[in-house]
Amino acid sequence: MASEARDVTTPVLTPLRCMAFALTVTALALARLAHSADSAGRPAPSWWAADSGRVFPQRVSYPDATGTVTVTHLGGPVDTRGHPFFTVLGRNGRACITCHQPADGMSVSVDTIQARWRATAGKDPLFASVDGSNCPSLPQGAASSHSLLLERGVFRIARPWPPRTPDGGAITPQFTIEVLRDPTGCNLDPIYGLKSARPMVSVFRRPRPVGNLKYVTSYGYLFEPKNGLPLPIDPTTGLRYSGNLLADQRARTLEEQARDALASHLQREGPLSASAMQRLIDFESKIYVAQSADRIGGSLTASGAQGGPDALAAAKPAVLKGPGHLQWAEFDSWMQAPGDAGSTEAERAFRASVARGVKLFRDRTFLISDSAGLNSMNFGNPTRDSCNFCHNMTRTGMDVAPGQVDLGTTNEPFADPAPDLPLFKLTCAPGFPPQPFLGTVVYTHDPGFALTTGKCADIGKITIQDMRGLAARAPYFSNGSARTLRGVIDYYDRRYSIGLSEQDKEDLTNLMSVL
Amino acid sequence: MAALRLAFTIGLIGLACATAATVAADRTLTFVACPVYRDTNAGRKSGCWLATQESSGLRYDITRGRTKPQLGHEVLVEGRRERVTRPNEPNLQDTPCGGIPLSPLVVSVLDAQCPSFMLPAEGFPGRRFVLDPKVVLAPADVPEALPPPPYRARTWSIEFTFGSDFLQYQYSEIILDEIGRYIRASHPHAVEVTGYAVTEPRIVSERVLAEKRELARSRAEIVAVALRRLGATDAMLRVSFRENPTPLPGPDELAEPSRRRVDIRLSY
Repeated sequence: MASEARDVTTPVLTPLRCMAFALTVTALALARLAHSADSAGRPAPSWWAADSGRVFPQRVSYPDATGTVTVTHLGGPVDTRGHPFFTVLGRNGRACITCHQPADGMSVSVDTIQARWRATAGKDPLFASVDGSNCPSLPQGAASSHSLLLERGVFRIARPWPPRTPDGGAITPQFTIEVLRDPTGCNLDPIYGLKSARPMVSVFRRPRPVGNLKYVTSYGYLFEPKNGLPLPIDPTTGLRYSGNLLADQRARTLEEQARDALASHLQREGPLSASAMQRLIDFESKIYVAQSADRIGGSLTASGAQGGPDALAAAKPAVLKGPGHLQWAEFDSWMQAPGDAGSTEAERAFRASVARGVKLFRDRTFLISDSAGLNSMNFGNPTRDSCNFCHNMTRTGMDVAPGQVDLGTTNEPFADPAPDLPLFKLTCAPGFPPQPFLGTVVYTHDPGFALTTGKCADIGKITIQDMRGLAARAPYFSNGSARTLRGVIDYYDRRYSIGLSEQDKEDLTNLMSVL
Repeated sequence: MAALRLAFTIGLIGLACATAATVAADRTLTFVACPVYRDTNAGRKSGCWLATQESSGLRYDITRGRTKPQLGHEVLVEGRRERVTRPNEPNLQDTPCGGIPLSPLVVSVLDAQCPSFMLPAEGFPGRRFVLDPKVVLAPADVPEALPPPPYRARTWSIEFTFGSDFLQYQYSEIILDEIGRYIRASHPHAVEVTGYAVTEPRIVSERVLAEKRELARSRAEIVAVALRRLGATDAMLRVSFRENPTPLPGPDELAEPSRRRVDIRLSY
């Protein structure tokens, strides 16, 4: 985290200001302790193990890279004994909580993963061979066999090849897939590989947070602009699918996501009972997570701001940004008044930086080009717009429509070099529309949405994700390619030649750190 | 062989004459060009698209089509001059983008590739983006207003760009949404979906353009998928496809683009 942009225009620290700042920090630390303490006042461990028997509090806060992340459960405290989110349900010792840690914004950060490795000598169920190692066929005691999880925070996602519909039906893919580079050995493995008896494509992805799910499962409009069709309807509920679950939309509902995770990540055989499934979904649906305080900027609800999980939980989901619904309006009050009488200069400077970041996010336009899912609509290629063109859902920065977009994070030529990840050559069959900007032959280390649809046009598309609680869950992008929030900004600046100044980058980084 | 070639040439000339006559009749300009992006920066979606008609050497502003070009791909331009004041010497310096504005205008992105060129603003202001409220659907949580009776047989049409079955954003869904509300309100006896493709060849800018026959079917089928998701049942739906329909009537319509369409007829 040392490289994070946290320097704001540094005020002169007089002894008085210094003392005031120290008091603020102490108060914040005590507040964190109070939030994460057990009933006897002892600080609770930040790691939540499966089957711990602890009570999941209504509200819990943890320090993170830049301040404090807070998780709130709208249903009140939860007795985790026998609760399906916290209980080992499969044969590898994991529960959902294993990879969705409150201290990590309900995902799991690479810092936590490394700490668990050190604490357990790699024996924690987090490192289960099925997906917590580079390939189950590797010797599991060696750290090198878990290098992708330890260094990028990515888990192995084994997708069936050829793809199947969510109901198990056959999909005839429009492209062939060839393994050009296989540093993990898994895609050429005789048991787990592409040419095995059960052919699979192994890609490696960060776990998405379990929280703020009303934003993930709701939709703003009845139509999907990227293909012009009305959103499909879930026959069991009569509601439409949002299309925003998981990086590749392989699950359409929370229940489908849970079934997928139980079978793959937890290695459960057999279904969960209907009541347990309902309990699981009820719990997940009431979790909200957001950054609540900043190490420099102080409380994220100070001076009229609406950071933290409470405003997020109360707000309406799937609202498209626009007049009257500006993106990141949570911090608009800091544009005019970044502090009050009791605010320190450091707080004011930091909040002013966040406010500038909000304006940049909304208003700084740049040429968006060669991005399937965006430029392939009738907007043209290129089209000039700002960050919130795609990150258009207020409160979370997701897409109000199904958000499958190719930013280039997983595809050549735009992806960062990743010799530790597999490289596939995808060749589109004649007669099908090619990937709109990469053509009929695409080199990628994760075909993304195309592994769900089998379509060339979908190669490299990854679902836009929730931007809240980011500071707690580094690294970023689906493949963990950005180690820090600053790395995310640097990627965008490079990819779209935005020309951000050092100050711009710092302001945008600070904005992302308080979401 | 020479006779065959001669016959083909005469045929092409005939086609060209017919096309030219059509253009003259409705003042529609039709040409293929390599689009150029002018990076005017008047805020979001403010960039300009330009295309030069080879036969006249005139540069046109093709920004205002529903579908924008893709750099590196030729475009088929079908449009009319917005206003004809000085047709032979248009003062391009007074235009927003540095080209003669076309509107109405349909731009179709072709598969054929061409060089990618971008120009700086060069003093042209571009146009600030203004979203037409008529092309924006209400959010999903706004209570649905169903049309009241009486319900009579009615036909809608959805147009497509050349060679494409893509349902264009901020156009198709407005029509489909209205049809869906009619279907849910009136439970029609039949929803007839007829897809069309213009397969007869025409010569534009020395290229022979003709749509594939299968496009009529895929256009009809994508609309049928949409209508099923909007409440049409299999018992209601009758899907068919044909080639080379007549243009839609209407003084503001561009004739040729209106032939690339799907008709949806509700009957009781």
